[in-house]
Amino acid sequence: MDTQERRVTWVWLGLVGLTLGSAWLGEHALPAGLTALVVATIVGVKGLLVIRHFMGLTEASSRLRQVMRLYFVVVPVLILLAGSAGVAMGS
Amino acid sequence: MEFAISAPAGDAEERVPGNRGIWVGILCELTEFALMFVAYAWFKLTHPADFDNGPAMLNTASGVANTVVMLTSGYFAVRALSAIRRNDVTGARNWLIATLVGGIAFLVIKAFEFRWNVDHGVVGTGNSFIAIYYYLTFNHLVHVVWGCLGLIWAILRTSFGAYSPEDHEGLEAATLYWHATDLAWIVIFPLLYVLR
Repeated sequence: MDTQERRVTWVWLGLVGLTLGSAWLGEHALPAGLTALVVATIVGVKGLLVIRHFMGLTEASSRLRQVMRLYFVVVPVLILLAGSAGVAMGS
Repeated sequence: MEFAISAPAGDAEERVPGNRGIWVGILCELTEFALMFVAYAWFKLTHPADFDNGPAMLNTASGVANTVVMLTSGYFAVRALSAIRRNDVTGARNWLIATLVGGIAFLVIKAFEFRWNVDHGVVGTGNSFIAIYYYLTFNHLVHVVWGCLGLIWAILRTSFGAYSPEDHEGLEAATLYWHATDLAWIVIFPLLYVLR
């Protein structure tokens, strides 16, 4: 296993750890706003890790990389808004 | 008489992993899911009670298992690409088979989950959360099936020696599509099983 494969292995273990963290979050009654914040952050981090280390979009100037990374900024913001809306509406 | 068209000076060609065709497919897939995520947000705003109680109605263990399976399968796909780049054709084929086994495991777990849903009355009538759950998961399931077919094609091509360290565009395209399907599930999992 070379250096790059070792790094990808650690990334995979990190992704699994974040997934189990999300599952733990779902099983505990934390405030909705806090849950939304943590979930949005985890989704963003997982997405960016897959884009960089699994899909190989590493060139900073790549337009594809920029589009893909933007997706994992916009979607977590949407999650944050959707998750916080219930709090704002008093549900 | 010969004609030649060259890129404007200073506009260096961007290296695209896989090929441009697969990226059209990937961006279409992610756009389709983005529209569904907007629909999710809209229904969550307009039917908050359904979404407050929704995740508790689902089989969380199946959702977690499928997320771990997708991520692990994606990791195997990276190892397949890494193997072909060092001319380990047998290793690449075996890693691709492991990736496909992950995809099949996802489908089996999903079938179990749908069966569990029916047994527990989780059906898509009269509840906005459950309706969006089925829209999202069925749609994603279709993409997993496409991804599995692409992997089978890449396994066959690898077995017949079609790929080399210099030329493995098809294999890389198949793995990229698989990662895109993984990306969609990374968003779907918390929306359905975690967020309240």
